[in-house]
Amino acid sequence: MQVTFYIAAGVAILSTIMVITRFNIIHALLYLVVSFMALAVVFYIMGAPFAAALEVIVYAGAIVVLIIFVIMMLNLKSEAVAQEKKWLTPEVYVGPAILCIILLAELIYTIGVGNTVGITGQIVDVKEVGQSLYGEYILGVELSGMLLMSGIVGAYHLGRQKKKVVHRFLEKPEE
Amino acid sequence: MEFSNINIIDVLPGMFLVTASLLAVLSIAIKRNHKLIFGLTSGSLLAVFVYLLVYASDHQFTVEPLFVIDGFGTFVTGLIVMSSLAVSLLSYAYFEQREERKEEYYILLLLATLGSDMLVISKHFVSLFLGLEILSISLYAMVAYLRKRPRSDEAGIKYLILAALSSAFLLFGMALIYATVGSMEFKDIGNYLGSVSNLPITMFAGFGLMTVGIGFKLGLVPFHMWTPDVYEGAPAPVTAFIASVSKGGMVVLLVRFFGEINGQNYPVIVLSFSIIAIASMFTGNFLALRQSNVKRILAYSSIAHLGYLMVAFLAGGSLGTEAVCFYLVIYFLTNIGAFGVIAILSDHERDAENLDDYRGLFWRHPKIATVFTAMLLSLAGIPLTGGFIGKYYLITSGIGADLLLLIGTLVVNSVIGLYYYIKIIAVMFDKAEGSETIALRPRLYIINLVTLFVLTALMIWYGIYPQGLIDRIRDFLQ
Repeated sequence: MQVTFYIAAGVAILSTIMVITRFNIIHALLYLVVSFMALAVVFYIMGAPFAAALEVIVYAGAIVVLIIFVIMMLNLKSEAVAQEKKWLTPEVYVGPAILCIILLAELIYTIGVGNTVGITGQIVDVKEVGQSLYGEYILGVELSGMLLMSGIVGAYHLGRQKKKVVHRFLEKPEE
Repeated sequence: MEFSNINIIDVLPGMFLVTASLLAVLSIAIKRNHKLIFGLTSGSLLAVFVYLLVYASDHQFTVEPLFVIDGFGTFVTGLIVMSSLAVSLLSYAYFEQREERKEEYYILLLLATLGSDMLVISKHFVSLFLGLEILSISLYAMVAYLRKRPRSDEAGIKYLILAALSSAFLLFGMALIYATVGSMEFKDIGNYLGSVSNLPITMFAGFGLMTVGIGFKLGLVPFHMWTPDVYEGAPAPVTAFIASVSKGGMVVLLVRFFGEINGQNYPVIVLSFSIIAIASMFTGNFLALRQSNVKRILAYSSIAHLGYLMVAFLAGGSLGTEAVCFYLVIYFLTNIGAFGVIAILSDHERDAENLDDYRGLFWRHPKIATVFTAMLLSLAGIPLTGGFIGKYYLITSGIGADLLLLIGTLVVNSVIGLYYYIKIIAVMFDKAEGSETIALRPRLYIINLVTLFVLTALMIWYGIYPQGLIDRIRDFLQ
């Protein structure tokens, strides 16, 4: 089990390095998904299947939504399709794909072996997570709510569209 | 199966602030009214303070596992709440002059106060991090609040990126410590450290990374680079808030954490904090000498002041904690007062931050100039002001712990600091011709003036008769 942990951790580090060294944001996003999935596998091997599932749903899912947004914003004109083709050439997606295949193989192996106890010797299941979140850490959960509220209020204020949308060059008086 | 039994009374100050911020959101949803939301904010902050005075002053309890509510925490909570009240009183006129939407500011102010409150009563990494993040995230938006000023966007982005990076450092440090100790409570970390003879390398790295996160929040050298730019770009009341509430919360947390783990027993930690303190004093004061922007001068002076505060922090013990409490009170009063003067003099286009805006101020607005002079003299540590007693207290606690090098640095730096404070005062008394033409035309609100007078009166009162405040602090700390 130790070996699977190190492989998954290696994949996580490698893909994260790729995230911060990519120039194109779509390419970085692809590696970011891989990084999150590697972390999910790490969580799973450590005996925290619930955290692993959350990692995939919340983080990896969010990145997929981001990619969909980008594709939607491309508006599917002909040059946009060309742009998309340019972004998704084989040499771009072959790297993340190989890393994903490694992770998949690991996952199949772990499930196949049937050793779900994890390397720490105990499994933290959903019930336990729920009990500690809504038991002793209930104030922490409530504070997280306040944290999100301050984020939303701030984002709402800062993201508000200005009334006047004029390019700064157009504001100059005619000469 | 065990369920938590949190007594709602125990966490009432936090509950007040949460309820107030939710009510503020609801009131915006129904109708935007600056007066209403300002009244709600000030009223709830005052309510928390009254509650602390009447009910919580001699109560001690822990809310397992996250919070400890003791005299120290209660005292600083009261201080933070009153400082936020002063900031909100100064903010009303400031934001009333500006056409942008003003109401969200008060929600953020309440939430930032909540974050700082949680910070000072936390005894667990989870509550530490949540409190810190509530504070920081509210501050990102508050720093960049005035959307029409290009400088405020710059300051906001700078603060966002650097604070997020420092949070990452802090989190990594906490993870390393958790991996070694197996608990995130301060007390367990202290017990673990007591049981091992020498510090394991992971703990060492963990403390180092946490120091980066904490040092950033306090604006200590070498993590101080954000301070002048953010102070300059943020609206003046927000700058007052960053200088007082945000830094004060972190100082208290640092004192509490070090008290629990007996940080003073580890020479390496003491040495690194001493270097940070000395570097902060010198860097802050020397860089302030060359500035011509009042906000930047005050920013560099705050770096130096946090360096002074580190003397009492390193001295530790009950005298050190007393000195930290006393100094925080005075530091909050003077900083909010000084930035309050900047806020009151600002007009709707820009803040009164150039030294030239203050030229001849004494002849135009004698009352404000007097207040500003008093605040600057207190920052410099002239006798008969609170700042003098604060510094005296710091030095006393330092001598008790034999920190002679630090005390020497403090004294030398007080002399250097005098120069740039006196420079501003001299400019205010200087009557240059034609100064009226470039002067800003602020609209003076009576509420700001009253707040400033109260702050000045308190500061001078504590300078002349500090015994009352000292007794009060001792009562709380017992």
